[in-house]
Amino acid sequence: MNPSAKPKVAIVDYELANMFSVARACAHAGLDPVVTSEPRGLEDATAVILPGVGAFGEAMANLHRLGLVSPIQNVIASGKPFLGICLGMQLLFSESEEFGTTEGLGIIPGRVIRFPRTNDQGAATRVPQIGWNRLSRPRSASWEGTLLATTPNEEYMYFLHSYYAIPDDSSVTLCTTEYEGTGYCSGVARRNVAGLQFHPEKSARRGLAIYEAFARQITEAEDTRS
Amino acid sequence: MSTELETYYGLPANVEFCTRCVYSNQRPNSVSEAAHTAESKKVTLRFDADGLCDACRTAELKESINWEEREQELVALLDKYRRTDGYYDCIVPGSGGKDRCYAAHVLKYKYGMNPLTVTWPPVLYPEYGYPNCRNWIEIGGFDNITMKQNGRTMKLLTRLAIENLFHPFQTFIIGQKFMAPKLAVKMGIPLIFYGEHAAEFGNPIAETASAVKQQAEYTMDNIDDIHFGGASVRELREEHGLTLGDLAAFLPVNPREIDGNPIDFRYLGYYLKWLPQEAYYYASEHMEFQARPFRTEGTYSKYMSLDDKIDDLNYYTYFIKFGFGRCTEDASQEIRNEHLTREEGCALVARYDGEFPRRYFGEVMEYLEMDSDHFMELCDKFRSPHLWAKVGGDWKLRHTVNRDGIDD
Amino acid sequence: MSIRVIPRLDIKGPNLVKGIHLEGLRVLGKPEDFARHYYEAGADEMIYQDVVASLYGRNSLHQIVARAAESTFIPLTVGGGLRSVDDIRNVLRAGADKVSLNTAAVNDPDLISRAARTFGSSAIVISIEAIRQTDGRYLAFTDNGREQTGTEVVSWAKRVEELGAGEICLTSVDREGTGRGYDTDLIAQVAHAVSIPVIAHGGAGSAEHVAEAVLAGASAVAFASIVHYEFVRAHHRSEGHEEEGNTTFLRGDRQFSRVTPVSLQQIKDHLASRGIECRPASAA
Repeated sequence: MNPSAKPKVAIVDYELANMFSVARACAHAGLDPVVTSEPRGLEDATAVILPGVGAFGEAMANLHRLGLVSPIQNVIASGKPFLGICLGMQLLFSESEEFGTTEGLGIIPGRVIRFPRTNDQGAATRVPQIGWNRLSRPRSASWEGTLLATTPNEEYMYFLHSYYAIPDDSSVTLCTTEYEGTGYCSGVARRNVAGLQFHPEKSARRGLAIYEAFARQITEAEDTRS
Repeated sequence: MSTELETYYGLPANVEFCTRCVYSNQRPNSVSEAAHTAESKKVTLRFDADGLCDACRTAELKESINWEEREQELVALLDKYRRTDGYYDCIVPGSGGKDRCYAAHVLKYKYGMNPLTVTWPPVLYPEYGYPNCRNWIEIGGFDNITMKQNGRTMKLLTRLAIENLFHPFQTFIIGQKFMAPKLAVKMGIPLIFYGEHAAEFGNPIAETASAVKQQAEYTMDNIDDIHFGGASVRELREEHGLTLGDLAAFLPVNPREIDGNPIDFRYLGYYLKWLPQEAYYYASEHMEFQARPFRTEGTYSKYMSLDDKIDDLNYYTYFIKFGFGRCTEDASQEIRNEHLTREEGCALVARYDGEFPRRYFGEVMEYLEMDSDHFMELCDKFRSPHLWAKVGGDWKLRHTVNRDGIDD
Repeated sequence: MSIRVIPRLDIKGPNLVKGIHLEGLRVLGKPEDFARHYYEAGADEMIYQDVVASLYGRNSLHQIVARAAESTFIPLTVGGGLRSVDDIRNVLRAGADKVSLNTAAVNDPDLISRAARTFGSSAIVISIEAIRQTDGRYLAFTDNGREQTGTEVVSWAKRVEELGAGEICLTSVDREGTGRGYDTDLIAQVAHAVSIPVIAHGGAGSAEHVAEAVLAGASAVAFASIVHYEFVRAHHRSEGHEEEGNTTFLRGDRQFSRVTPVSLQQIKDHLASRGIECRPASAA
């Protein structure tokens, strides 16, 4: 591979996300972002990011309508680095309880549920969570070799969501966060797939460092393949 | 148009707009109000060969003035008059507007003078103007004499000014202008400071070179020749039943009283570079001056000229008589001071100029004991044909700064 | 739950301006200089407000927003003169994360729903300008406190939440630019009436005022004067020829005594000292 060519990252456009900040963060990390809604776009890329802000149901409907569900599943099966951000992480799971039960991409067994109506003070939980919150490293886990390799424990990242994921197998949990008394999984990593509930492209320098880590993973994966 | 349109008030027949600000050439210069009658012909704003109005020309000249020298002149002047025995050494007339707040404050706290503020109270204090006047005194820290006028005279003269001249603000202009010198004479305070220089607004540039206001404006030898509301004092006495005593608050200084006690009239704007918007910030910073909690009708501004409920109506009569309103005034000033571009000024004029001052109209009519229909009839009487045309029952301007008048 | 600390940049054309009571166009410098500084100093978000857009029926922030988005990787809220779903889409494409609506929402409340459905509630911030009346009620205004809507602030706040707003940015026009402190009564009334986050704005004169806003119920706090005047004081750049705007203040005094100029670090340190959690300002 030409070492000076920037790795191409497909950013899935399914009409529900602000892809532009993700694209800018990728560019900043030395990647070549390509916003695409074509299956071909995913196949041509070295890695794929599934961003997203909005409703689970609408997201899945759009992905189906655009014929992107199988291509995404195939790309993941092929071993390419895949990153789901915010709603994009939630979509990786089996199902969400938003507006009834909606099936997700089924990559990671587990479900997506809403923050509880009342918080630990007995007051109504402010939903969505909008703001900076901390990533905690699960005890006995290490972030080495993950997207959080250069992230200090308890670092603040920017969150914006009303729902969160509960993986069936807690060993995929990369980091946890606590919001108004609810501790939840804020990041997952399994083989070539990672999901981050927060927005690293909105999390200043520490967030950009995650994109840089993603870029390193992509380069390593490329080297492994070539 | 093949037929010549009649022009009222001696206004120029062709309507032109300044190439830098949004003033039109129909704008009258300040007049000697005491000589103002219905027959008075206006001297209007001059435009030069480049289409630049006198006010803009003055603004340009301001840039080349040596303001350090001017400040030294000010200090020399103040050194002559400053008193340290506790008595007042200068008068600053005002009603709590930002410019007078600034003037009094800077004279006292920067230059060590002891100003007496004097107020000619407005016809009707707006709820949001009065606290500013009070704060000027109480937070700014000045003694103040407020000359509350004979209410019956005030009402009559204001009404006559509207009937004869369509000029609701005349009583204020006259009162404020004459009050300060009269008090100066009576109280032995030989220095009066006004604020912004009249040339800033387009009065002939020849005046800019001197800071001293003409003394002649403030005295009149023949009482019977003085006009208020377009009526001479003789008419006021003979036809309206007013005595000279009733008019005391409005009369100018007796020239013989000044002979022994010369009064120095100065514009602070000659010595200190005037920026009205910064005066707003200054007044807010030092005296809790507050902008209006809503937009002033007829303009976009919230901080200019907040002192009198009749003010809004006054600007509306400008719109009727001269074809431009308050927004044009405010925008032109802010264009000259580089807060706005001309394009923005034009957009604002399109949006707000000539807006009817609904908010206080009823209250003002009630105060004047005037029928609002009658006021609307007066509007039509004072519209100059060369500025207005009736189209489908509605009055439309023939020319606007946005070139969307009937004849543009 | 950590509090968000948000500098607000009022913009007219190429300049950052700062008013009092949302009135006045005192130029303080170039928005990109302030934005870069605040980003590096640890701002949690930023607000870019075109303060004259509504007046001229235009929104011309795209270039500034695009430039900001290139180098500031924190959420950016953009407002001023946005009238339609298309306007919103264009601004989001230019790099904004959220948009702020006032006049357009008041004139067509259904726009809130349409925008929330199209872009997600989280992208829609409704800006409420509140002015206290003599009888103690707070009424909502538009156009920088110029036009009365006749609607009470609390009931309007509830309504915008129902319609799908993600957040409310609540400005006290009475306090704005005066440094007299936030209107904590106003903040408390609105924060207790809605369950969406309330961003308090208007009146900060010190770091303690910022804490007071939080204690009154704000989820996030926006301010301008206290940090802008600090930046102006600390950075004596001699400006080149300005293409528009009056820069008298910058060339003169450069001080505004009604506020205690503070840095973002000082604000965050103070919040922490008051037991209020927020993301530390230390350069990440």
